[in-house]
Amino acid sequence: MIRHFMHTYLPFASNELKRNLAYKGAFYLFIVCDLMEVFISYYLWMAIYQSSGKGTLGGLSKNEMVVYVIMVFITSTIIMQSISRTVSRDVVKGNIAMTLIKPVDYRISLISGQVGNLIYHFIVPSLFVWIFLEVYKVTVLGEPLVSPGRAALYLISICLSFLIYVLFDFCFGMVAFFTTYIFGLSMAKEVLLSFLTGRLIPISFFPEAFRKVFEYLPFESMVYSPVMIYLGKYSVRETLFVIGRQAAWVIILYLLGSFIWKKVTNRLIVLGG
Amino acid sequence: MIEVKSISKEFISPKKYPGLKGAVKGLFSTEKVKKLAVDDISFSIADGEIVGYIGSNGAGKSTTIKMMTGILRPTRGECLIDGINPATDRMANAARIGVVFGQRTQLWWDLPLSESYTILKEIYNVSDEDYKKQLAFLNETLGLEEFFDKTVRTLSLGQRMRADLGAALIHNPKVLYLDEPTIGLDLVVKDKIREAIHEINQKYKTTVILTTHDIEDIEKLCSRIIVIDKGRKIYDGTLADLKETYGTTRKISIKTEDFPGIGKVRAALSSSLNNGNKEPVGDNELELNFNPDESRLEISFDKNHVEVSDVISSLIRIITVKDIKIQETELASIVKDIYNHNLGANGPEGGGR
Amino acid sequence: MKRIKRYLRLYRVLVSQFIKTIMQSKVDFFIGLLGFFMTQAAGIAFLYLVFEQIPDLHGWSFSQLLFIYGFAQIPRGIDHLFTDNIWLVAWWMVIDGDFDRYLLRPMNLFFQVISEKLQPDALGELLVGTILICVSASNGILTIDAVHILLFLVSVIAGAFIYTSIKLFFSTIAFWVKSSGPFLQVAYNMAEFAKYPTEIYGKAIRFLITWVIPFGFVAYLPAGYFIGQHSALSTIGVECVIAVVFFVIAYRFFIYGSKCYESAGN
Repeated sequence: MIRHFMHTYLPFASNELKRNLAYKGAFYLFIVCDLMEVFISYYLWMAIYQSSGKGTLGGLSKNEMVVYVIMVFITSTIIMQSISRTVSRDVVKGNIAMTLIKPVDYRISLISGQVGNLIYHFIVPSLFVWIFLEVYKVTVLGEPLVSPGRAALYLISICLSFLIYVLFDFCFGMVAFFTTYIFGLSMAKEVLLSFLTGRLIPISFFPEAFRKVFEYLPFESMVYSPVMIYLGKYSVRETLFVIGRQAAWVIILYLLGSFIWKKVTNRLIVLGG
Repeated sequence: MIEVKSISKEFISPKKYPGLKGAVKGLFSTEKVKKLAVDDISFSIADGEIVGYIGSNGAGKSTTIKMMTGILRPTRGECLIDGINPATDRMANAARIGVVFGQRTQLWWDLPLSESYTILKEIYNVSDEDYKKQLAFLNETLGLEEFFDKTVRTLSLGQRMRADLGAALIHNPKVLYLDEPTIGLDLVVKDKIREAIHEINQKYKTTVILTTHDIEDIEKLCSRIIVIDKGRKIYDGTLADLKETYGTTRKISIKTEDFPGIGKVRAALSSSLNNGNKEPVGDNELELNFNPDESRLEISFDKNHVEVSDVISSLIRIITVKDIKIQETELASIVKDIYNHNLGANGPEGGGR
Repeated sequence: MKRIKRYLRLYRVLVSQFIKTIMQSKVDFFIGLLGFFMTQAAGIAFLYLVFEQIPDLHGWSFSQLLFIYGFAQIPRGIDHLFTDNIWLVAWWMVIDGDFDRYLLRPMNLFFQVISEKLQPDALGELLVGTILICVSASNGILTIDAVHILLFLVSVIAGAFIYTSIKLFFSTIAFWVKSSGPFLQVAYNMAEFAKYPTEIYGKAIRFLITWVIPFGFVAYLPAGYFIGQHSALSTIGVECVIAVVFFVIAYRFFIYGSKCYESAGN
């Protein structure tokens, strides 16, 4: 059963990997783009801590903020493997009907492809940046290495983050059914995500009322939660709760995606598009 | 009108390796591959000629046309179009030429055709009077009014091609380049396009250069053809000369009743033909086929080695002839042979000029 | 003179045709507007949240940073509105061979690239910029007189030219590498540095965004003049010189690049 599953979907992952290696030039340049964001946040936060005269802001010390900024970069680089562009293109061009006659699950094949990407991004650049971060932590910041247990919990957590992200992105891609201007919509999505996942600023900086609302949204579980696990900000019980909540989001978004998919394909069959 | 002086075009691209391993290898490789797409081609074309430029896919047709239109610059050599070098004086050249690339439209996709034409009128600085006159002429030859107010996106392929041809002619260019103008069209539209090209050529003495895979385009339009293969010119001359040089195979097809069998006919025919002939005809120079369903015998041979009249007079003596047909080689099969490199290497260069 | 008149006329014809086509998709228009508006709004919300924690940043107050932020949006928006098509050259036109079309027409190449499209999404940026500048003006942190208003216009136009030059320069690389979108993306993203005072960065980055990819001169440095901290010459004067120099370099490079264009299919 599992062997059959792997046999069917593994080629999607390896194809995506090959495609990525072929466009290595672009790939490295996009890493540079993302690293630039890291630089900006790093310098900005350093200036902010300096100007504040306080040791901690939003519950994070200056050193923790350095780790936060870099771990947010690593986490989002690994998990944010977008499938909405493919989905929306297939919807707009009418390829969806074609996928119905293939003997593979459309959504799972897309996600499998992104597993290939995930592995690639995990190694380049994330693993290198991660090693750099730990070395920097010990030598410059004078902080201890991350404990293996915590690192393991982080890795489990980002696997769930990845699933939350792609399942959400699948639903988002389906929106293409209602508009053709995906670029503008993607832009809005990016902004919302950067805000609500904690990429731009730690969630703890938001006023209490906002944070209450965010707890009922899946975005915090994508980036903020695993990074907080990594930083050791949660007790064992809290950690288990956070990971459990991530798992719950995976299930909810999976079901939501199936529901939308059914609606859209039913309409396609009726309309014959 | 057009002078192409030993132009060459070289493309350089990074080397690619196959497979996942290859992709990893490609990460570290800086190896480059050079490709000579056009190799030292020269020709000249007079005012008002219609020239067919043919060759297989990847032979360098499009590359040559792109150099003549000013899209690409030759690596070596130069071309002069009406005295203008498109590589150095792109705009002046662009103002005097019209171009239709069959696979691609130069119209505004989301606008009605009429608006595209209005824009082109402005771009090419056509006076109101000339525009009116030209539009009337194009309407007549291409039947544009049927779809003049429709959005370009909604036009059928045939309509779009007519619209594109019209668009290339609004400014009454001196030279018209057509890259596969009839590709994918049905027979009626093909004919219409060909007629229009012919009429424009007649009326304005427009020089036309067209690339095509459609033999009928050549037969109906071109007085002269240039054949290129692997970037080199291998033939330049009239259509008649091409047929004369390459198309020397004749096929005689005879309907007969009492067919005695291939072997017997062959033996009788050889002895009859070789009777008193200084150069004996070998067995492999005659190709015989018999189709029993139609009781039809077909004999193919090279007319430069064996006289057609000899074959017929011999045959009449051997079998009962009920009906007889003599076929020339079709242009299509000559071109096919050239594409398959059967003729190119040893064929004589430059029949006409 | 005659040529300029002809090009102005052509621009009017081409752009008015384009506007007709985008009017057909009002939903897209609002989505695009919303996307860019939200991006800017998020940046402001970020600043707001940060200033909840600190009184000032390296001596800059919240309202001053808001002005820099808003002021940066105006040249960015102008460039975005008029020359967005340059992105397509970088990403697709060279690799797909669509650039052929420009080479076949008797018009200036750069003119053809920018006259093909207006980007209404840019109104999102211009809107945010204008609102922030109005807010700043009412806060009384700006000097307002005829000279300042005139120099404001000059600075905004020069800033837009700097944006255009950088875009043109990096899209030109496509003539050799086929698709230069990623290069352009990296260069364009450098503008993000310029949203905040450049003194917060290290020396290398500061040098980079002042003299190599001079986004520092688009917003932060000229803003110093309007807030009354620097002289006009050392800010807007230098900005204008940089705009002219960079535009000439980028334009020359673009024309040179177009001669190395290899079209598609090989």
